[in-house]
Amino acid sequence: MTAPTLDVRDVTKRFGDGETGVLAVRAVSLAIEPGEIVLIMGPSGSGKTTLLSMMGALLKPTAGSIHLDGSEISALSEGRLPDIRLRQFGFIFQDFNLLSALSVHENVAIVAELAGLKGRPARDRAKALLTELGLGARLDFLPEKLSGGEKQRVAIARALINDPTLILADEPTANLDSKIGHEIMRLLRVIAKDQGRSVVIVSHDQRIRDIADRVLWLEDGAFKDVVTMATDPVCGMAVERERAVSAVPDGETFFFCSRGCREEYLGGLRTDGARIGRGLAGLSRLPVVVLRSAQARMTTSTDSASQSRSRLGRFRNS
Amino acid sequence: MSTTLLLARRNMARNRVRLLASVGGVALALSLTLALDAIYAGVANQLTTYIDRAGANVWVAQSGVRNLHMVASTLPDQVVESVGAVDGVATVTPILEATDTISAGDERAVAYVIGLPAAASMGNPWDIVEGSAEVRPGEIIVDREFAAKAGVTIGDLVGVLGGEARIVGLSRGTASLVNSVAFVSFDDFRAMRGGAPVVSFVLVRVAPGASPEAVAAAIERLVPGVTAQSRTDFVAQERRIVTDMSADVISIMSVVGFVVALAVVALTVYVATLARRREFGVLKALGARNRVLYRVVLVQAALSVAVGLTIGLAFTGVLGFLIGWTDLGLELAITADSLAKVGLFAALIAGLAAILPIRHVAGVDPAVVFRRGAPA
Repeated sequence: MTAPTLDVRDVTKRFGDGETGVLAVRAVSLAIEPGEIVLIMGPSGSGKTTLLSMMGALLKPTAGSIHLDGSEISALSEGRLPDIRLRQFGFIFQDFNLLSALSVHENVAIVAELAGLKGRPARDRAKALLTELGLGARLDFLPEKLSGGEKQRVAIARALINDPTLILADEPTANLDSKIGHEIMRLLRVIAKDQGRSVVIVSHDQRIRDIADRVLWLEDGAFKDVVTMATDPVCGMAVERERAVSAVPDGETFFFCSRGCREEYLGGLRTDGARIGRGLAGLSRLPVVVLRSAQARMTTSTDSASQSRSRLGRFRNS
Repeated sequence: MSTTLLLARRNMARNRVRLLASVGGVALALSLTLALDAIYAGVANQLTTYIDRAGANVWVAQSGVRNLHMVASTLPDQVVESVGAVDGVATVTPILEATDTISAGDERAVAYVIGLPAAASMGNPWDIVEGSAEVRPGEIIVDREFAAKAGVTIGDLVGVLGGEARIVGLSRGTASLVNSVAFVSFDDFRAMRGGAPVVSFVLVRVAPGASPEAVAAAIERLVPGVTAQSRTDFVAQERRIVTDMSADVISIMSVVGFVVALAVVALTVYVATLARRREFGVLKALGARNRVLYRVVLVQAALSVAVGLTIGLAFTGVLGFLIGWTDLGLELAITADSLAKVGLFAALIAGLAAILPIRHVAGVDPAVVFRRGAPA
């Protein structure tokens, strides 16, 4: 088993003391594997942002520990955290948070410069990355001249410029229309699957479930449920592994949206002697995600799990 | 230019009104200090012009008299010969000097009135624009600005030392904001003052190769009852009088200018920092260390001050140039000392103005990035 990129162990965050104190996050544990996309959902005020802030070393937990590539970052002094944030994390925000006075390429280059890359090399690297993301014609534009999707792509370039191991995205599609939202989701998937970076997304956007390997439901500061996503190798639909119809034809588990798809897949195997269903079989390997965090770390009771599952269902249908 | 410095520059430039207020405030405040310094330096220059242009290497005065302005020096006639006999002295010229009023009609002006011996080799007017450079009994040379203001010209009579003299020449560069220099004959001066056998100063030109300071020291040693100073020392003493008289005013105005500039820069940089609070939070979240952000704030303050200082210098220079074209008799002299002082002021202002915004930046929570705000 690969070592997790980020390991959150029994993390609690309390704001204030005594009766007025608020417990924002309660003994949450979570392990994120390399190349994994984890989507954290939950109602407003559930502690998602607090958890994301702690994962990004922007906030210290009151209790518990956070480990990045095996090193405990929650125990580091404030003076050492900027370097961790600069080199290990890439942040993507709902509001984009670009520096309004700087041009597109300067917005990206400044982060490379902060990491020690100077002048022209930093600018060249920023320009190359932005061009890869389709912003080659916008390099000298100010953020105010960009569309929402372009701004978010700049933010993604900024998040990637220092080659981080973990991307933390806060509502990355919230201010974007459907088409651009899908484009951003595609990029996030590429970042995870092609580049092997872990991606944690906090969002209310149901569409992101399609690219997530796991969906976690945070409520009242604790995970109430875990949903591991898989792709039906026949029809390509994103399905919740725990609720999907499965088959283990060759010692390997596959998940399907319906019995029909499963039968079609197994039938195809019987007739073709190969695990190919409408050309999507390769995708079936992607959803077979590591479940360690879900199995071993989730602190959910049977009752709350079933309650939250039904809530999740309502949320999904809304 | 590094991107962080670029960010500082752009942050300032993004809000033109704020930039204008900041730079304009600094420019005006520093100009106030600089112009006042320049005016007093100009006055000091004008006051010492006669000493500078008289042609003497050493000035000999009554014992204890170390300058020209607002003092009287009286030496017995025989001192002239005694001074002339000192080793290293090449030539001596006695002059009579008094601060008096010259009048023409309703126009009255304070002047150093100089009594010059016939064919004096030193102490003469150095730039005659009209008429004669030599004064004989009953004649006077006045500054052309006084003449223009009083409406008199060559051949007219003016009142001086309790009598009258006819204008025979008009000089240039002999007027200041405070007074002008007028030249009469030595004999007239002495007669108008009761005919006492005295002189005011003995002007000395030293022999080639001789040191004015050494000759002055020798004169003081060998001639009793005199104070002898090299021209350089005499000018310095004269300037000190002006400095002493103006120091309080300059100090007060400098403090006012300093406080105004500091307040303007501090306020504008603080407001600029507040306006970018979220962006500073973003930079912190992305991994910028506090010192990087402090540098951005400091550069913003320094840029405001530097541009303001440059404009202030240019403004004062132009002001001096324009004043030179007027008949105010005023000279603005921007000295190296004054530049150093204003430069130091500017650096202090930039440093102090950045303190409050830096404290603010230090307190910015990087987690601010996750709070919803106006999108960039």
